[in-house]
Amino acid sequence: MKCLRIFVLCLGIFLMGSARGQTTSSGTGQSQTPQTNSATSGQDTKAATDTSADALQDEHHHKFHVRLGTISVGAGYSHFSGPFFNPFWPYRFYPYGFYPYSFGYSPFFYDPFFYSPFYAPGYFRGFSYDEGRGQVKLTDAPKTAEVYLDGAYAGTANKLKTMWLDPGAYDLSVSAPGATPFHQRIYVLSGKSLKIAAKLSPQTTQEKQKTEEKQ
Amino acid sequence: MKPRRCLAISLMCVVSLFAEAPRGTVPRSAADRYPSHAEQNGIAIGVTLLTPDQARHAFASDVNRCCLVVEVALYPPKDVPLDISLNDFVLRVTGTDVATKPSGAKVLAAKLQKKNASPHDRDVTVSPTVGVGYESGPVFDPATGQRRGGGVYTSAGVGVGIGGPQPQPGSSDRDRNTMELELSEKGLPEGIAPAPVAGYLYFSLPATKDKKATHQLEYTLNGNKVVLALP
Repeated sequence: MKCLRIFVLCLGIFLMGSARGQTTSSGTGQSQTPQTNSATSGQDTKAATDTSADALQDEHHHKFHVRLGTISVGAGYSHFSGPFFNPFWPYRFYPYGFYPYSFGYSPFFYDPFFYSPFYAPGYFRGFSYDEGRGQVKLTDAPKTAEVYLDGAYAGTANKLKTMWLDPGAYDLSVSAPGATPFHQRIYVLSGKSLKIAAKLSPQTTQEKQKTEEKQ
Repeated sequence: MKPRRCLAISLMCVVSLFAEAPRGTVPRSAADRYPSHAEQNGIAIGVTLLTPDQARHAFASDVNRCCLVVEVALYPPKDVPLDISLNDFVLRVTGTDVATKPSGAKVLAAKLQKKNASPHDRDVTVSPTVGVGYESGPVFDPATGQRRGGGVYTSAGVGVGIGGPQPQPGSSDRDRNTMELELSEKGLPEGIAPAPVAGYLYFSLPATKDKKATHQLEYTLNGNKVVLALP
């Protein structure tokens, strides 16, 4: 058993050595091959020719091709509008479906400033124009009214007069202190414009009492 | 945590996941609030045909392109639930044999989805340019490597731009799903209704040449037919 182990070890060392040797020869044999080629004959010549072909291929692989036509220089400018610029908690943008207020603040929620935008690029796009999006125009809402989309805070009404959203159905809510919240389910289609008149009516006495009780 | 509490919480989570969005519209206070209404066996029904303008305001999808929209409200008597099936409704052009049953949201969304232009359609723009100028000499000529005097020069060129077709509004698959969702959510809910329900029915009727043609909605209730004229 011990002999077998030693044999396997030796075999392994031998194979590694031979592999290294091959690598070394293919790596350094490029300049030596033409000399060997001229000195040999018969089968050796054929072998030498093959080697020179390999060497040529290797040479080809390591050659740098500079194509001036493919050089391009570009400059870009990106503008992020909307709630991303508001650094004060809790006025941060949260992806739809996350309800941070229900569970309290947690550092595990997606934060576009902390994580890379490539981590979840869909959440980083904001409400700016995009070809495959639809426009939602919010009118009649007070400037300071808070706008929620699918339960997640999206920003204030004065900053979200025009939103570009991906096609889909959303639950839009607009609320302001002392006013009855406005709720509407909206359906956004690409390339189409939707005008929402979110006029908030003042709260009745009963509603005020309910709000105070909740608080 | 106790296993019972654990089970209850997980059950609530599963139920909330599979809970459907509310369907239909809000029924008016009574059936007689609708322009056309009737009552049979204690069940009241009110209907109204949406004008193209009303349909445009009520829907984000352009339903006027595919169908006539009828809002239906059903008021079952107290403690007697009503089984609603879309197959019980028929829309007929008054005085003719032309009639149809309501269409499903999936079919209508497929009809409403606009087709994009073929990717083989190319927008080719050709912009020829011609220029005439005067240069004061002497200047270095890069072609000959010599100095030469100035004078009038001319130039001509042509620019060719090839662009792909623009995507049509409401043509993507996401749009189609959204339209299907909207039509489905606003449609009259099928099944057992213990309380008043309302919603829209969509009828894909062939366009009639007669602009004065009127429609009537037929509702089969327990084998009896209720006919409601739509103004």
